[in-house]
Amino acid sequence: MDTVFKGEHLLPGQIGQFFLVLAFGAALLSFISYYFSTTDDAGKPGGTWQKLGRIGFYINSLSILGIGACLFYIIYNHFFEYHYVWAYTSKTLPVRYIISAFWNGQEGGFLLWIFWQAVLGIVLIWKAGTWERPVMTVVALSQVTLATMVLGINVLGVHLGSSPFLLLRDFMSASEAPIFKSPDYMSFIKDGQGMVPSLQNYWMIIHPPTLFLGFAAMVVPFAYAVAGLWQKRYKDWVAPSIPYALFACMILGTGVVMGSFWAYESLNFGGFWAWDPVENASIFPWITMVAAVHVLIVYKNTGHSYFTATFLMLISFVLVWYSSFLNRSGILGDTSVHSFTDLGMFWQLVTGILIFFVMSVWLLISRWKELPITKKDEETYSREFWMFVGAVFLGLSCFHLLVVTSVPVWNAMFGFNIAPPAEKARMIHYNVIQSSFVFVITILTAFTQFLKYKKTDVTKFFITTAVYLVFSILITALVVYATGLYKLNFVFVLVMCGSIYSVIANGKVLADAFKGKFKLAGSAVAHIGFGLLMVGALISAGTSTVISINNTGESYSAEFAKDENPRENILVYRNEPQKMGDYTVTYLGDSLNLPDHFYKVNYRRVDATGKVAEDFTLYPKVQVNKGSLASSPDTRHYLFHDLYTHITMTNSASTSEEKGVAGEEEAPKDDTKDYDPAVPHEVAVGDTIRFREGYMVLKQLNNGVKLQNIAASEVLVSVGAELEIVTHGKTYHTAPVYMLKKNGGVFDFPTKVEEAGLKLQFSKIIPDKKKVEISVYQQPESAKKYIVMRAIKFPYINFFWAGTIIMVIGFFLSILRRNKEVKAV
Amino acid sequence: MKKSSIFGLIVIAIAIAVIISVYSSTSSYGNFNDAKQTTSELKVVGRLNKQKELHYDAVKDANYFSFYMRDTVGNECKVVFTGTKPEDFERSEQIVLTGKMIGNEFHASNILMKCPSKYTQDKLETKEYKAKQASI
Repeated sequence: MDTVFKGEHLLPGQIGQFFLVLAFGAALLSFISYYFSTTDDAGKPGGTWQKLGRIGFYINSLSILGIGACLFYIIYNHFFEYHYVWAYTSKTLPVRYIISAFWNGQEGGFLLWIFWQAVLGIVLIWKAGTWERPVMTVVALSQVTLATMVLGINVLGVHLGSSPFLLLRDFMSASEAPIFKSPDYMSFIKDGQGMVPSLQNYWMIIHPPTLFLGFAAMVVPFAYAVAGLWQKRYKDWVAPSIPYALFACMILGTGVVMGSFWAYESLNFGGFWAWDPVENASIFPWITMVAAVHVLIVYKNTGHSYFTATFLMLISFVLVWYSSFLNRSGILGDTSVHSFTDLGMFWQLVTGILIFFVMSVWLLISRWKELPITKKDEETYSREFWMFVGAVFLGLSCFHLLVVTSVPVWNAMFGFNIAPPAEKARMIHYNVIQSSFVFVITILTAFTQFLKYKKTDVTKFFITTAVYLVFSILITALVVYATGLYKLNFVFVLVMCGSIYSVIANGKVLADAFKGKFKLAGSAVAHIGFGLLMVGALISAGTSTVISINNTGESYSAEFAKDENPRENILVYRNEPQKMGDYTVTYLGDSLNLPDHFYKVNYRRVDATGKVAEDFTLYPKVQVNKGSLASSPDTRHYLFHDLYTHITMTNSASTSEEKGVAGEEEAPKDDTKDYDPAVPHEVAVGDTIRFREGYMVLKQLNNGVKLQNIAASEVLVSVGAELEIVTHGKTYHTAPVYMLKKNGGVFDFPTKVEEAGLKLQFSKIIPDKKKVEISVYQQPESAKKYIVMRAIKFPYINFFWAGTIIMVIGFFLSILRRNKEVKAV
Repeated sequence: MKKSSIFGLIVIAIAIAVIISVYSSTSSYGNFNDAKQTTSELKVVGRLNKQKELHYDAVKDANYFSFYMRDTVGNECKVVFTGTKPEDFERSEQIVLTGKMIGNEFHASNILMKCPSKYTQDKLETKEYKAKQASI
C-alpha cells in the first residue's frame, strides 16, 4: 500500500505479530524434535532431539508472554488502529476491565488456552520423567494447532487463523468504508466500541481463565493416553495421568459453575442452567473425563476395562475441540443465546478436531491386537464392576447431550431441517432424560461404597445397602413433601432419592475416613458434593416460583385471554407500593453510576400479627449502552432461598446525568408537554389542595425570597409559597416563587417534585381575597416513571453452590492422594 | 451369555432410545401457513415489518407485546408475545419465533433475534427472549 497513514502505532503490532509467528514456529520445532527424540533417540538418555524439543517449547512459552505483553500494551494505550482494541475497549473502560478485554474476543480465548497449555507443558517437562518425550510430542502438537488459530497470515493461499493484531483498516474493507483510504483516518477514530456492559463484571475477569485452564488441562491426560498406546506402555501411563485428569475435572467443573453463577447473579437468564448449546458443549469433556477417571481406577486395580478407560480419555480431548468448534464456528447460529461471532475459521476448526480424532482412532486400531483386553468376566459384587457401569452411564448422559446439541451439525451434514426441541419442550426433554441418567449414577455412587474392591461378602452388603436405602427413602419423603417436589415428574423424586442416598452412603465413608481410612476421603467428599449439588439444582429449578404474577393487564383479544400463559411481569410506578405475593414492593427511585442505572426496589413483608417480617431494598440495574438497554438482576440471599428481581422494561432509564431533584429551581424550559393541563387552585394559607394521588397544604407565604440569578435591587416583591405535599405515604416540601420586578415584569418560578410527578406554579396573587393561585401540573398516568419487573424465588439454591464447592474440595483431596501414589511407584 | 455382553446390549438399547426420544421431541422449521395446519409448536423465521405498529404499553398490560412479522415466503402475520418488548427489538435483522397459531395470531413462547452489530455489518449478535421462566 502506498498511502502513508498518520497517527498509527504499528511497532507494537509488528512485534506482536512476530511473536505469533515465532510461537508457531517454536511449537512446530518442539513437536518435530520431541517426535524424533521419542522415535530415533528411544532409550538414549538426554540427546539432541530432546534438548531441541525443550528449547522449542521454552521459546514458544516466551513468545506467548511476548504476545500477551504486546496485546496489553496496545489495549492499555488505547491504540484504536487495532481492530481488537477498537472492538472491545474504549477510553472510558475502567482499568480493572483492561485485563478482561484481553479475552473478550475469540483470539484472546485462544491465547488464554495456549498460555495455560504452555504452563502445563513446562510442568510436564519438569515432572514427567521418562514420559516427557512422547507426552510433550502430543502437547507440542496441540500447541502448534492452537497457534495456527491466531496466526492471521496467508499460507499457500489459505488464510490461517485470526490475529489479535489485525489493523482496523485491514478489517474494514476499503470499499465499505472509504474513510480508511484517507491517510489521516486515525483523526476520525476517537474512541473504541467499548466492552459490552454486561461483560463489565468481575466474573468476566475470573471465569474465562478458569474455564480455559480446565480446557487446557484436558490435554495432559490425553497426551498420556496417546503416549501409552504409542510407546506400548499400556499399564504405566495410568498412575501419573490420574492426578492430571482429576485436576482437569476440578478446574473445568469450577469454571463451568462460575459461568452458571455469573448467569444467575448478573445476567437476566432467570436461572443457573438453561441447557443452552454453549453450556452443554462446555460440560461434554467434563462428563467424559469424570467417567474416564473412574474407569482408569478400575483398570489400575483390576486390569479390566483398558479399552474403555483409554477411549474415554481420548474422546474427552476430542470433545474439547468439538465444543470449541461448536462455539466458534458459528454453526449454532440461531439455537444459542450466547453471541459468538464467526471468524471464518470453520474448516480450520474442523481440521483441529480431525487431527486429534484421527490420531486417536488410528492409534487404537493399529494397537488393537496388543491392547490388554481381558476376556474374563468381572466379579458382580466388586466395586470395580459397578464403577464401570456408572462410567458407562456418564458416557450415555454425555451422548444424549451431544446428540441434541449437535442438531445444527446434523442439519449441516445430512441436509436435515430439524429444529432443536422448542423452548418448553427443551427444558422438559433435557431435564427428564438427564435426570434418568443422574438417578442411575447417584444410586451407583451410593451402594458401590458398600462394596469392596474385588470381592465382597454378599449378605452383609445387601443388609447395609438396604438399611441405608430405607433411611434415605424416609428422608427423601420428608424433603419431597416439604418442598413440593412431588408435584413434578416422578423422575425428579427418584433423583432426589438417589442424591440423598449418595450423600448418606458417602457420609458414612467419610466418617470411616476420619477413623483412619483417610485414603477414601477424596472420593467420598466429591460424591457428597455432587449429591448436594443435585439436591440444590432439583429443588431450586423444580420449585422456583415467579412471585411477580400479574393478572391485572387488559386483555387485548379473546384468544389472548384464553391463553394460559402466566403473566410474569409486574408494573410498578415510582413511589406507589404494589402488592406482589406476600410482599409489598415499592419502586423508590434511581441512582446513576454510568453506565449503570440502579433502581431502588423496596420489599416489605408483614406477617400475620402486623409486624414487619422483612424489609429490604434491592438494586437491580439497567445498563445503557449506545441507546440500548441491558438489565442485570439483583438478588436477596437467604440461607434457604433467594429472591431474584430483574427489570424487564422501564421508561426512566437515562443516559445522561440529569436527574430531577425535589424543589430545585430549573432553567425555564417548555416542558408543559410532559404534564397534563394545569389545574389552578385559589388558596389561602392553611388550605388544602387535593390532587389525583394525594394532597398538599399551603403552610405559609415567605416574603423576600432571594433568587440566585436576579439581583435584589431589581426585585420589587418576591414571594415563596411553602407547600407540604403528601402522596403515597411520603411527605415532600417545595416552594414555588412569584416575583414582581421593579420594571413591572411579572415572573414565576415553578418547582418540580419528580418523585410525586408534580410541577407546581405560583401563578397569581389575588390581594382582594387574600388568596394566591397555585397551578398544579400532574404528570399524566403514562408519563409517570415506572419499572416492569420480574421476581423469582429460588428455594435452596445454596445447596447447589455449596455442593459444587464441596465437590471441588473432594477432587482436590483425590489429587493429593493419587499424586502420592505416583511418587510411591 | 456373558454379563458384559448383556450390559453391552442394554447400553445399545438405551442409546437407541435416546436417539428416538431426541428425534421425537425436536420441532421443525416452517412458515405461518404451516403453523395454521398444525397444533404443535414450531419455529418460524422471518423479518419484522417495521412499517406496522409494534405494540407494547406497559401501563395497559406489562405482559403483552405484539408486532407483525413477514416469514421467509412472504406471509405476514400478527405475533403476540406474553412478556415485555425485548431490548433493541426494532433493530432486529432476523427473528426466529417458537410458538403456534391461535386463531389468526401467532402466539410466540420464545423470540430469538439477530441484530446487526452497530458498526460492523458482518457480525451478528444473537439474543433470545423467553416467555417463560426456566423450570422443570
